Amino acid sequence: MAKPKAFVRKERCLACGACISVCPQDAILMVTSKALISKDYCNSCSICVKTCPIGAIIWEGS
Amino acid sequence: MKYDVVVVGSGPAGSVTAMFAAEAGAKVLIIERRAEVGVPVLCGEGISQKVDNFKVLEGTRWMAMKMEGARIFSPNGTIVTLSAEYAGSETGYVLYRDIFDQELARGAVKKGATLIVNTGAVDLLKKNGKIAGVKAQRFDETMDIEADIVVGADGVESRVGHWAGIKTTLKPYDLETCAQYTLTNIDWPTPYCDFFLGKKIAPGGYVWIFPKGKDVANVGIGILSSMSESGKALQLLDAFIAKYPELKKGSPVRLLAGADPVGEPIESVRDHLLLVGDAARQVDPITGGGLMTAIEGGKIAGEVIGKAVETQKFDAQTLSEYETRWKEAFGRKLHRNYVAKEILLDMEDKTLDMLADSLKDYKFEEFSTLSIIKAMVSKHPSLLVKLTPLLKLARA
Repeated sequence: MAKPKAFVRKERCLACGACISVCPQDAILMVTSKALISKDYCNSCSICVKTCPIGAIIWEGS
Repeated sequence: MKYDVVVVGSGPAGSVTAMFAAEAGAKVLIIERRAEVGVPVLCGEGISQKVDNFKVLEGTRWMAMKMEGARIFSPNGTIVTLSAEYAGSETGYVLYRDIFDQELARGAVKKGATLIVNTGAVDLLKKNGKIAGVKAQRFDETMDIEADIVVGADGVESRVGHWAGIKTTLKPYDLETCAQYTLTNIDWPTPYCDFFLGKKIAPGGYVWIFPKGKDVANVGIGILSSMSESGKALQLLDAFIAKYPELKKGSPVRLLAGADPVGEPIESVRDHLLLVGDAARQVDPITGGGLMTAIEGGKIAGEVIGKAVETQKFDAQTLSEYETRWKEAFGRKLHRNYVAKEILLDMEDKTLDMLADSLKDYKFEEFSTLSIIKAMVSKHPSLLVKLTPLLKLARA
């Protein structure tokens, strides 16, 4: 099975940009003041999940 | 419509760059992705008094409190006080950052810059392989904005630098991940900015309390991303507040998340392009403070842009005067503090407690690194070994 991808819980995101600044895949964009992760680019490295100060990024399907 | 300069981002770095570029006669456009300049606030809202020297602000509407100094709380609670009398220019103000940013933007517009909100850059515009402006999006409309110089003032998550091929991705050990409440109805009446250290309190960072009024303060935390787990910054902040009844009784009127680059300065110039502020990593790696450096860097950027427009030369060599000048003005200090940060990160809580114990009664009359280290070592000789690397750095 493919690894799960990181996913932003929009209702929790406060648009600080922490995830974008550390993503080694350049897979995250800010869209209308919420971070959005591209599934195509995410390599499941978990850096953004660990970095989010308020726990807004989780694994898809979890 | 063609501009001399398009500035991406209306934070302090962008607005100050625009202000000085416009003053030098350049035709400047600032584009801001958000609907309101300065909102949401992503900041602890502290700034050094040095800001007064730059004369970029009118009035005091942006100022919440003038501070008399700082207190550092070691892991076991030993307090080291740096008072205004001795700490000199290191004291400062607590801001209303939204008003602060709007006042700087107003200053830029007053000098002749144009500002549009709700407009985000989505890519660089290129002509014959050269940067010729930005592609921007405003609501559903995509547009080309032509300009001879593009300024990336787009913060910690800078895309502009990335599009120009500058390596902007931060390693987790070079990013502080932050959370902050503005708490009201608290009981923390001090004229000091307080900093709390300790591996359990804030691994690789610190908790701060910056008073904004009699019973209002920003209470925030920054931890190193490499030592973080999902949501850990906010959990540790909640745990910290729960320990202090005088804070716990308060109510938050604001919660914000934040990201603070604490890496080394990066390349900030390309043909037709430069980066300022957090985008150029113009941030003190020890304190995480980047407002003063953004303003200082922005002023230099604006002046260099002014000259470039006058001579109509936009190549990297011409613009490199900016990089040379900001690295001279404060870049070397940032590099030195980056090395010092690494040494401090290696220190055990016990060592920090010993340091604090040596300094708690120390009168900072002679504020030199050497005199402070001498004072510390005379009380706790075992600190000498731990401090040798810092001593070497101070002498370098």
